[in-house]
Amino acid sequence: MYKKKFEACLKRVQKPARYIGNEFNSIHKEMTSDMMSFAFCFPDVYEVGMSHLGIKILYHMMNEWEDTVCERVFAPWDDMEQEMKKEGIPLLSLESYTPVREFDMVGFTLQYEMSYSNIVNMLKLAGIPLRTRERKIGDPFVCCGGPCAYHAEPLSDLVDFFILGEGEDIMREIMQAYKEWRGSGRTREEYLETIAKIEGIYVPSFYDVEYNDDNTIKSFEPNRDCAPKKVKKRIILNFDDTYIPEKLIVPFMEVVHDRIMLELFRGCIRGCRFCQAGYIYRPVRERSVKRLVGAARNAIDATGYEEMTLSSLSTSDYTCLFELIDELLKITVDKRINLSLPSLRVDNFSMELMEKVQKVKKSGLTFAPEAGTQRLRDVINKNVREEELIRTTSIAFEGGYNRVKLYFMMGLPTETDDDVLGIGDLADKVIDAFYQVPPEKRKGRSVTVTVSTSLFVPKPFTPFQWEPQNRISELERKASMLSKSITNRKIIYNWHSSQVSFLEAVFAKGDRRLGEVLISAVEFGCKFDGWTDFFDYEKWMKAFEINGIDPEFYAYRRIGYDEILPWDYADIGVNKSFFIAEHKRAYEEKTTPSCREKCAGCGAAQFGGGVCFE
Amino acid sequence: MSKRRLKFSKLNMAKFISHLDLMRCFQRAIMRSGLPVEYSQGFNPHQRMTFALPLPVGVTGEGEFADISFEDGKVTDEEIKERLNKNLPPDIQVLSVGDLIFKAADIVCAEYTMKLYSDKKIDTEKIKEFFGKDEVIVMKRNKKKVEKPINIMEYIRAWEVIDETERTLTLRLVLDAGGERNLKPEIVAAKICEGDENMCADDADICRTKIFCRSGDVLELFR
Ligand code: SF4
Repeated sequence: MYKKKFEACLKRVQKPARYIGNEFNSIHKEMTSDMMSFAFCFPDVYEVGMSHLGIKILYHMMNEWEDTVCERVFAPWDDMEQEMKKEGIPLLSLESYTPVREFDMVGFTLQYEMSYSNIVNMLKLAGIPLRTRERKIGDPFVCCGGPCAYHAEPLSDLVDFFILGEGEDIMREIMQAYKEWRGSGRTREEYLETIAKIEGIYVPSFYDVEYNDDNTIKSFEPNRDCAPKKVKKRIILNFDDTYIPEKLIVPFMEVVHDRIMLELFRGCIRGCRFCQAGYIYRPVRERSVKRLVGAARNAIDATGYEEMTLSSLSTSDYTCLFELIDELLKITVDKRINLSLPSLRVDNFSMELMEKVQKVKKSGLTFAPEAGTQRLRDVINKNVREEELIRTTSIAFEGGYNRVKLYFMMGLPTETDDDVLGIGDLADKVIDAFYQVPPEKRKGRSVTVTVSTSLFVPKPFTPFQWEPQNRISELERKASMLSKSITNRKIIYNWHSSQVSFLEAVFAKGDRRLGEVLISAVEFGCKFDGWTDFFDYEKWMKAFEINGIDPEFYAYRRIGYDEILPWDYADIGVNKSFFIAEHKRAYEEKTTPSCREKCAGCGAAQFGGGVCFE
Repeated sequence: MSKRRLKFSKLNMAKFISHLDLMRCFQRAIMRSGLPVEYSQGFNPHQRMTFALPLPVGVTGEGEFADISFEDGKVTDEEIKERLNKNLPPDIQVLSVGDLIFKAADIVCAEYTMKLYSDKKIDTEKIKEFFGKDEVIVMKRNKKKVEKPINIMEYIRAWEVIDETERTLTLRLVLDAGGERNLKPEIVAAKICEGDENMCADDADICRTKIFCRSGDVLELFR
């Protein structure tokens, strides 16, 4: 019913292809009244959302069920939002232009904290009551999943339930329970009570939180029997059995990652102490070469994509990487498909591998040593040694590369000015390595090294979860010190906005008192905080102020081991005692070997599979 | 190598797909279909593909044209049509495949249907009056990106009302089109709706139905 007006809006906005749907392989099922409907919402624009693997997995999987229809919803860009508001059009799904509020279930995927304002804004545009207590029979259930769902307490007043862990199995159980609940005359609360018993479901309204005078948490307890004290994440042990979407939607417009993404394994064996992804996906589970090659072949045939990338946290840790690449090249070379390999680790990057990839495409070289000195790299357990970095870049220079990008974090625990200055020294050594290569082997006369630093954000479920973040002023001091120390004009130094990183820390480690701040911020116009053209720090500060909340409490305070953390309810399978031990080892500058070298006994073996039993 | 001319439709929401995106859509459909297309030589080989007259974004097309090179004698026209249609999205479909008869450079005009909507009873007389005017000036950017005033009435070759209801009016228009003189139908819609608070040009459904080219002294349907 809104379609005609919606079309008129599209004539007045930029990039209308964001809103039209109907792409090849998109699924259009008739929504009959006996079916269940799920609106899969991505809290960012189309081209960002469509680059994301998780949405593709669940979208195709749920639409294979006869009793369910799953449609996509993205955040409209500001121009479209204004047009829709003018015409009185609520947020609509992409497939059938159905108002989102008419769906049975509205599910958001939480990829990063800075998308929370978009979730609030999308609920508003949809006309769904913002707070769970305001929702009635006839309103959809709002749920969230994805990597941030383990610690999304700031959204607790707005979200009916969270899904912890891999959604592939659990989705079916949730929808089955919905089918039985629907039309039974039971209350919304009764539905939530049913699903609270499903492992991996967290219903925040079933927990009461009390605070101490100093604002720390005094108690965090379930208020009814169906709610477990700790909610354990769900994982799928046999990764070969998991659903791999092959008939991927092929967008009309260019999206951020416009290619086939082949997920080799989930998790990471490394255990870098700042990296949340390295812990929440434990244990590492791999797919077999056979399964991957089959899926790759089918995806190529079904999409016509001209590029394929291997996507995992640390691709070069895949046990059969060479075999896999050989098999994939057999398919891709003939079809003129580019195979790209992101996130190669410095320590096992080799000439042979490089040449293999070069056969199809030569992309720039990127390394992330993360810290400038060996001492600090030991603290964060980033097992990259300077010699290895220099050796690898030398090989690369001999292979014809002459541009290197180096990524670092600033404000890491125990960081001194020497560590900061070490970043510049390391960049200098890479430049020296270039000139060590005989001129006839080098490509081009000169070399450029781009150094980027970002502000470290302490994250829940890492050994650094108790750490304070550096103040913005401190970061600025360090960045300008480093900038002054870099005199070589072949080094380009960039550093990133720290106000966003500060808010990221606040919302990553925040509790449910931040829900009202989010609502106020959106009222003031905050949205798309990940986009520099929208991010408005002043508005955020105003939102904290009127709600009487001090954001520094969450980001700048050193937390004691005995404190109750706002995310303690979630059990990701890695023990708190392990995080404490790792935190202590960090201060002793001791590294911890990877899961394949020696198991560190983190607790994830309780799931009974993956790398722990290799 | 054999160049084939594909006549295709671009309907419904596909009207919002830009020219560049449409090209990519065809390229991927060809990849999926496995049809033996010719690739250009050189460092970055790509499929050879040209479109006769790109459609403005927001306008549907019932008979658009793309020229694509296939390897000689490996597929029939019927096969090309069938395999591509299986691999194109539903709103973009190949209608026929054949030889290249005319040159795209000879295109001179195109026929459109335009359905106008009004919130109240539509003022047909006023619209008819519009087409009787000698001069309606709009600013138009030329190839050098300089704005110049043009009289759009000189670009309208023919018009007629083909359907009328209480609140809608459907017109058939023939407008100059092609490399030399080109008038976008949206501009005509905008001028018709200008000053009428019950009408909005963005509501208009515009469809390009035919493309004509010069062949000696006569106009021919482009094919
Ligand atoms: S239990 Fe050992 S092998 Fe398993 S994830 Fe933890 S550290 Fe790695």
